[in-house]
Amino acid sequence: MTVPILKQGSVLIACVQSALTDGELSQLRDELAQGIGRYRATGVIVDVSAVDVLDSFGSRTLRSIVFIARLRGAETVVVGIQPEVAYAMVQLGLTMEGIATALDMEEGLALLHAVPRARRGV
Amino acid sequence: MMPGSSAVRQQYSAQDIELRRQYVGLTGDDLQRIAGIRSLVAGKATEFADVFFDFLRPFDVAAGLLRHAALLSEVTRLKRLHILDMVGGEYDAEYASRRAQLAVLYGQAGIDVRVFLGAFHHVMRAIGIDIMHQGSGTDPEAAFLSFMSLKKVGFFDIGIIVDLLIDERERTISLQQVAVRELSTPVLQVRDRLLVLPIIGVIDTQRAKQLTDSMLHAIRANRARVVVMDITGVAAVDSRVANHLMQSAAAARLMGAKTIITGISAEVAQVLVMLGGDSLLVHAVGDLQGGIEEAERLLGLQVVPIVPA
Repeated sequence: MTVPILKQGSVLIACVQSALTDGELSQLRDELAQGIGRYRATGVIVDVSAVDVLDSFGSRTLRSIVFIARLRGAETVVVGIQPEVAYAMVQLGLTMEGIATALDMEEGLALLHAVPRARRGV
Repeated sequence: MMPGSSAVRQQYSAQDIELRRQYVGLTGDDLQRIAGIRSLVAGKATEFADVFFDFLRPFDVAAGLLRHAALLSEVTRLKRLHILDMVGGEYDAEYASRRAQLAVLYGQAGIDVRVFLGAFHHVMRAIGIDIMHQGSGTDPEAAFLSFMSLKKVGFFDIGIIVDLLIDERERTISLQQVAVRELSTPVLQVRDRLLVLPIIGVIDTQRAKQLTDSMLHAIRANRARVVVMDITGVAAVDSRVANHLMQSAAAARLMGAKTIITGISAEVAQVLVMLGGDSLLVHAVGDLQGGIEEAERLLGLQVVPIVPA
């Protein structure tokens, strides 16, 4: 199952709707990398609220999505990590340092809109 | 069957009994020797039982038992039966259950292992003196061997009774642990999107998991962006506890909430620095008030007096 990528203003939104295979995760990473350039996006939101398990490959791919997007000029926020998933990830040592997280889509969008403002303020 | 006892009967398997008999080395020879002293010991069973309670008399721990007439008469009856049984020659599961019944009553009366061992030792000593006394004229060696055989039975009984007394104590401890665990850790919302977690007492693995769990669910339910964890009431912090706190903070971050830890005492701070590692990465503020103020700042809130000062 491929992940639909929506465009909302200058933000790309990827809603992961079920557990993904490693191949699908890699495909998501590639599509986002291309999409950022094509749509001149400055922000990316990856919504994982429907995901009930995130293993080390999953979190590594999320990580690489974040860094690829950053190199392409877009900030990424991972939103909707469920309590059980968060606890399990921490137990596995997958704390996703340096990656922005938010409670849900709304918070994620607010965070993305706040970041450029902060940059302008500097 | 024992009438008049409310105690739950302990069941022993034949295998367990066989093993216990092997542990104390109870053999057919012993049974024969015990048969030889049966009438002597059985004849003075009441006297020997009294030795047990006379020994207890001066000790505070036994005060409850000695004052409680009904309990005392039941225990005395069982004790007398115990001494009759010891020379009865039948050391089977039924025998063990009867000793267990006595042990349960000891537990209820507050007689612990030390006191029991002391009292039982005196009983064995009294029996031993009698056996030696009677046998000394004819065959002291045979008398001594008979007593040693009886002693094996004594240790067989001690094994059963001490097991149960310890079980009883462990049961009390585990009940207390459950009670402590049930003291829930509240997660309080003090401002919109701001949660406070006052942690009091000891954090063990079980409680840490529960604590993290309720915090994460509260973050989702209250849409919290900042969590202030106050550990003023946590007496001791070791590496495991520090690790638990770090994990909670990391999990909260994955859900988009920032964690501020407050109330780290001087001792705890020193321990955390000694432990090193990522404990230095936490966002810490001196006290709960400071933590809430910092959280308000993060949320872009400001508290102003109604009347400008």
